[in-house]
Amino acid sequence: MKKVKIIAGISWAIFCLILILILFPGLNSFSGSVSKLPFMKLNPRYTGGEIANQVIQERCTLDIRKPVFNGFLKERTSGFVQLDWHGTIPEMIKDSIDYDHDGNMDFCILVDRKNSKTVLDPISKKVKGVVISTPTSYGWAVRIGLLK
Amino acid sequence: MDNTLKVAGMRKSFGKSLLFTLPMFLITFMFMTGGKPNFSDPASGLAMLTAFLLVNVLYFFMHYTGKTDRYRAVLFIIFALSLSYTLIHNMLEVRKSMSFSQADILECKIPFCHLVIPMMILPAAFTKSIIFPGSIISGFANISSMVVLWLVATLVLGRGFCSWGCFYGGWDDGFSRIRKRPVIKKISELWKWMPFAVLLMVVLSAALTMMPTYCSWICPFKAVTEFERVTSVESATKAGIFLSLFGGLVVALPVMTKKRTQCSFLCPLGAINSLSNKITPFTVKIDKDACNECFKCVGVCPLYALTTDDIKAGKVSLFCSKCGKCVDACSRNAIHYGIRGIPSGTMKNFSRNLFLFVSFLFMAIFSSGSIINTFHGLLKLIF
Repeated sequence: MKKVKIIAGISWAIFCLILILILFPGLNSFSGSVSKLPFMKLNPRYTGGEIANQVIQERCTLDIRKPVFNGFLKERTSGFVQLDWHGTIPEMIKDSIDYDHDGNMDFCILVDRKNSKTVLDPISKKVKGVVISTPTSYGWAVRIGLLK
Repeated sequence: MDNTLKVAGMRKSFGKSLLFTLPMFLITFMFMTGGKPNFSDPASGLAMLTAFLLVNVLYFFMHYTGKTDRYRAVLFIIFALSLSYTLIHNMLEVRKSMSFSQADILECKIPFCHLVIPMMILPAAFTKSIIFPGSIISGFANISSMVVLWLVATLVLGRGFCSWGCFYGGWDDGFSRIRKRPVIKKISELWKWMPFAVLLMVVLSAALTMMPTYCSWICPFKAVTEFERVTSVESATKAGIFLSLFGGLVVALPVMTKKRTQCSFLCPLGAINSLSNKITPFTVKIDKDACNECFKCVGVCPLYALTTDDIKAGKVSLFCSKCGKCVDACSRNAIHYGIRGIPSGTMKNFSRNLFLFVSFLFMAIFSSGSIINTFHGLLKLIF
């Protein structure tokens, strides 16, 4: 039994040595495999959610993303909707948004890019306020707080 | 107890030490140069050569002197400093600031670090998603590669990751070596269970808020890497917590206690790594026949992993990070690196050689990129 334990211990240690030897040369391949695991995708709270609607304007495009209410075990009562403008964005952005596609406008938004000022005019009672309004590498992004 | 027991040293002759260094020399050469050293940019070539010589000289001295911790610590501390330098240098070049903006979060551009891993587990299991604004596969410090590196290192080294792989541990390890004698000599051993409490708290709070709470609110190493831009009372409070914890747990307490207090009392990943000590093949063993119970090892352990009771029982606790400080302190070689299954007191040299090769190779390759980058930066500053 003692010998078996020694052999098992040494074999485990040698296996670990091999694992370390192949870890760095195989890192890209291992990481690629791990990235394909079903849970290896970013939560919509971080990505902003999938693009639900794309509004192509004169020189820029507005992406309206799906509202995000993700919670741990169940959906939350409050969340946000993310809007992304990209392309050649005007100094003053003014848009009316129907985020839930019910045919009625839910809010109007005015972004003064020069002064970094964002004014929200809620129409729907579900619209709470501006959570984030920031310049990005692709243009401008706004997150509007929502109630479910 | 036989107090006249002959000490079996771990020292090797010059030639034998060179022979043991040869595999490390060849493997690190292949990794650092890709097999083709390039000196077309002298600064890059010199930085690479310096890093290459540094790791191999340190490894040689581990064999030649028979001491582990002092040479491990040199590379470990340089790793911590160079990683912070690399991160800060990149951020200043790209963002002109150490802080990240809301846009960086929205665009998921935050580098991932292994301390997030405990907080990912529950949301990944229940929502099948990762609660971190980083990149899954592309770019610097992406989530997939950091998870793979940590998983393998933890499987192989257990809590040894905290002394051979963690690029933050070198900070409090470094500060714990500044004074010759501790100012604070006694801290209740109960505190060493604190990381488990922190782990429980951050795992639950991260699941409930869907946010990596440790990174957002507690992590002391935000002070030397990157943090949220201070634009509100909330972000100012966070910055205050980061700086206070860094000043207290990473600088002041390690200096006063000569212990790695952040790693011992706060780090939630350290708690998980402690549990993984149960499966790793490499351990620290106590040869009761050789031990004269001088308890020098208990005094020098930087992680409160050894108690007099542990020594009497002939077992190290699960908190051991295999740093080698106790092994170096023992003049009788009674506490030594071992392999699971091999009885304590036997095959000491074989176990040490195998453990050193595996753990040092991991640290040497993992750290090489940031060390080369730092040396390159320093050379550019000088010339």
